[in-house]
Formats: sequence, structure tokens, C-alpha cells
Amino acid sequence: MPGLVVAASLLVAALLAVALALERQRSARLRAHLDANARELEHLQQACSRLAPEGVVQRLIEASGDDAVEPERKVATAMFIDVVGYTALSERLEPAQLARVLNGYLQRMSDVIHEHRGHVSTFLGDGILAYFGALRPNPWQCDDAVSAALAMREAVTHYNAELARDQLPPLGIGIGIHRGPGLAGLIGSRERSEFAFVGPTVNIAARVQGLTRVHRVDILVTAPVREEIDARFVVDAMPAEAVKGIAEPIATWAVRARAAMPATARDREPTAS
Amino acid sequence: MGNSLARQPWEACLIEPRKDRAVEAFARRTQGVPNPTVGYFASVPWLARATCELHPRYGLLMHLDPMVADLVGMAVTQENSCRFCYTAVRAMMWSQGIDTARIDRIEEELARGDLPERTLACVLFGRAQSRSGPGAAHGACEALRRAGVSGDELKEIAYAVAVTDFLNRVHTIPAIPTRPFERMPEQWLMRLLRPLVGRLMRRRMRMGTPPSTPAVTAPPYHDLVGAYAGSPIGAVLQRTLDAMWASTILSRRCKLLMLAVIARGLSCESCAVRLGPALAGEGLAPDAVERILTHLDAAELDPTERLLVPFARETIWYEPQRIQRQARALREKLPEPAFVEAIGVAGLGNGLCRMAAILGCAG
Repeated sequence: MPGLVVAASLLVAALLAVALALERQRSARLRAHLDANARELEHLQQACSRLAPEGVVQRLIEASGDDAVEPERKVATAMFIDVVGYTALSERLEPAQLARVLNGYLQRMSDVIHEHRGHVSTFLGDGILAYFGALRPNPWQCDDAVSAALAMREAVTHYNAELARDQLPPLGIGIGIHRGPGLAGLIGSRERSEFAFVGPTVNIAARVQGLTRVHRVDILVTAPVREEIDARFVVDAMPAEAVKGIAEPIATWAVRARAAMPATARDREPTAS
Repeated sequence: MGNSLARQPWEACLIEPRKDRAVEAFARRTQGVPNPTVGYFASVPWLARATCELHPRYGLLMHLDPMVADLVGMAVTQENSCRFCYTAVRAMMWSQGIDTARIDRIEEELARGDLPERTLACVLFGRAQSRSGPGAAHGACEALRRAGVSGDELKEIAYAVAVTDFLNRVHTIPAIPTRPFERMPEQWLMRLLRPLVGRLMRRRMRMGTPPSTPAVTAPPYHDLVGAYAGSPIGAVLQRTLDAMWASTILSRRCKLLMLAVIARGLSCESCAVRLGPALAGEGLAPDAVERILTHLDAAELDPTERLLVPFARETIWYEPQRIQRQARALREKLPEPAFVEAIGVAGLGNGLCRMAAILGCAG
């Protein structure tokens, strides 16, 4: 009798051990599946970050409804950048060569914008639309935008040196910057939408970019930007010009450079140790 | 999200750890076990102490469930992409006997929002505060009240968020090494000592008791300390602030300017109101302050301020790789104690702004 009890106990223990092992196997499979899904989600998130600012992607992933990223009223700075003489360039270069030149240019400009806390909203052929202060509050948005424009001018100079080494023609840019109110958020259809800043501010920035050709300068800002930026930005007033779709002529200022801070008695370099 | 944080690119550490018996003994007393990272901050004693004693779990919470505080801290850490704090939290949980699979599940529940309604409201509040700053405080506060969170709990949640924001910056900016914590579960010695370490830590992780006398400090953050008068949080805040002001590595004016830049960047009106008179007391006219805060530079600034005023701005919304790159450039221009203190001031400024905004609605 005791032998039977022992045998039965052993059998039950063996069955339990088998059940436990099977359950563990099942758990391991499920975990591996979950990890694979997590990796895939992460990969998707990284891919999506190329299409929209990262914060927006994260909010979309976490949100439950369609109104996840409701447009908000904000004051932001819009910047339009265009390649001067792009049409002539596109006629001169092979399509593959043109794409290489354009990609190199767009990458360099995007890096500069990102480095100055702006974000690229969209590429419009050779054009770039970027915003400063549309995603997150940024009280220094005008200084950032104008600093970015000066850095872009420098980046294009360096890029032109590279293009010259490959016997390719140089690029020129025109930049228009305007600050004003608008609606920031996801705009578009159910099938396709993008993070955008909509309102007259963007239209004015585009028109101001167009004026760079009229005034034969590379960087133009409007009065609201001029009022906000650091006095050390060297600017020249341009004559007000009428533009399509805007009732009043637009006064603009050409940005030449940023002057260094004058030395004071307090200036003595701190030294690292 | 958690797994991706473990792979977050991380620069080589920008500061050298120092042997400091007083600071190490303080960490052991506060947390029950040696703190392997406190030596990195030893050149600035107030900061080294703050990284140990500001942690909410060590006798500071009186109303909030400590597990909720941990989850809020983890959510904020994920939001701030602090690989160090993420691995440190995981190591702390592991030391207390939670196996890595269970920790992974807790993280997944956190990421999916698979939590009780009240806990979820607290976690969402933490995320919103880190992501949107004080601008979103009012709405976030209302959501917590709707979830049945009391005013006292709300203050402690605000504190947990603020301290996590502080700790995240203090460890991310100088890229404090994450490997010691990441390797912990793989080391046989640590596995052997795990029950003892867990026991020692649990002994220190206790609920707080009301202080016998309320903490009092001088402006500019006296009202913030006063809001925690009935809580042990008030005393640690007061000690940290008083020690920060007493430290002479950076000037008081430089610290005030850094705090004012952060307040401007986070649109924290109440902080700006607190800091205005203090800056005037340092001999800066209101128009000079405005010029400095509007353009992050001015002729009135000395060379150290000229470096740290724009740096303070970078600590508000940061990406770890970028802020570590900027910190490396800054480190080359500043002596180590000044660099470490600047990180501490910036971290504290970010935390204080978030705390100040929420206390307005906590009552």
C-alpha cells in the first residue's frame, strides 16, 4: 500500500513537472514573440520618425483616438529655403547626378535646422519648409531661426567646395523667415496627414523667400522677426514690396552676419582643469 | 520602449569619480548600501548628497503609494531617455528580489497603460509634466483630481516627477556609466549578495513621518519649501537649496541666471516672479536681466555665465546624445567642479519649475 502511494505521488510529481516544463516552454515562446513584436514596433517607430517629428509619433502611438494630436494655437517661426537657379541646374545635370547633389544639400540643411532646434516640416522638391517653436514652446525661436539661416549659408559654402571638386556647379540659396500665430498639429486626410503649422505666417515666409530674388540677397526676415532677434545680428532694411495674396507691401531686412559680443572688463576666459 | 532605452547611445563619461569618505558614508547611511556613482559628484558635496537623499523612497513619502512613485519615476525616466536611471531602477528592483522577467512585465504594463485607473492617472501626469512642462500642469492636475488623488498625494507626485527630472539630467548630461548596473544580474558576487543588499535597502525604504519643526529657507524658493512644511520633503528641499546657495564654486548670480533661463524656457511664471528680486539683489537691472534672458547673452555676463546661460537652455528639452556632445564641449572650457555644479543647478532648476507649476493647483 505505501508503495502504491509513493508510486502515485511520483506519477503526480512527474505529471506536474511535465506540465511545468510545457508551461515554461510556452512562456518562453510567448516572450520571444513579444520581444520580436517590441523590436518590430521600435523599428517602425524609427521609420515613422523620418516622416514626422519624434514627439508626434510617440503621441500617436500612445493615443487612442483619431484626435490624438489636436492642432493647437501657437506662435512659431516659419522658414522657407529654396535653391536659387534649380531649374537651370536640373537641365544641366543627369537625373542621378541631380538627385545626389540634391540629397547632399537637403541633408546638410536638415542637420543645420535640427542643430538649431528647428524641425523640417516638409521638402518641396528643392525647397524646405521648417518651423521653430511649433512643436515645443521656444522663447528663443527667432534667434534660433536666424542663427540657423547664417549656419546654412556657411554649410552651402562648404558644400559648394565639395561640388567644385567633382566639377559640379555651385548652389545658391534664398531663405525667408517670418514669425506669427498659426495652428500646429497633424493636418491632412484620414489616409495621410503630416505635422504642419498652418496659417498666414507660413504663406508670408514663402513670399519673403521669393523676395530674396527681388532684393538679390540670401536671407530675409520680416518685422516681427527683426523686433525679436538679438541686436548683434547685422541687418539692412530693404524697400517694402507688394507680394501676391497679401494686401500690404512687406517690409523686410537682409541678414548680413552676427557681430561678436564686445569685450568687457569681465571678460577673462575660464580655464578647465 | 524600455528595451530601446537600454540601447540608447551613451557617450564616454565626462567626469572622474573621486574617493570621498564623508560623501560615501552619507550615501550608505541614507540608502543602506554603498552608492557606486556618488563619487562622480564628490567635487560638489551638495549635489552628491542631493542625489542620495532626494530620492522619494528613502523616508520622504507620507501619502503616496511607493510603488506608484516608482512607476511615475520610471515613466518620467523613459520620457527623458535616461539610460542610467533606467538601468539603476531595474537594478534596484532586481536587488529587492524581483526577477528580470517580472521587471520586463512591469515595464510592459507601464508602456501599455495596463494599470489601475488611479495609478495610470499618476503615470500619465508624470509623462505630461516631463513632455510638456508646466504649461500642461493645470490640465494634468485636473485629471489627477478626477481620478480621486488627494492634494497631499498630488504634492508627492509632483515631487517624485521633479526629483526624477533632476536625477535624469544629473546622470545623463555627464554620461555617468551604466555598465555597473547593467552587469549586476550577471555577476555571481552580486547574485550571492542580492538577498543581503535587498534587505539593507528595504530597511531604509520606509514611509516618512511628519517633521517636528517645519523647514524654513530664504527666498527665492522659500514658498516651495513652505508648501511641504508638514512633510519630510520640506526638510530635504531646504537642505539641498541652502547647500546649493552656500556653495561658492559658481557664483550665486550665475546660479540664479541659469534658473531664470530654465524658468523662461518652461514658461514658468511663478519661478520668474521668485527669481526677479533675487537677480535684482545681485545688482542686475531688470532691463539687463530681460536682455540676458531674451538672447541668452549680454555684455553684463562674465565668461563663466556666458557659457552657462545658453547651456541652461539646452537642459530643458534635450536629446541624450546631443546634450552629452554639448556637455563635452562645455567640460573642455570649465574646471570640473564648476562643470559638475552647473549640471546640478540645471537639473534642480528643471525639477523646481515642474514642482512649482503643480503646487499652484495642489492647494
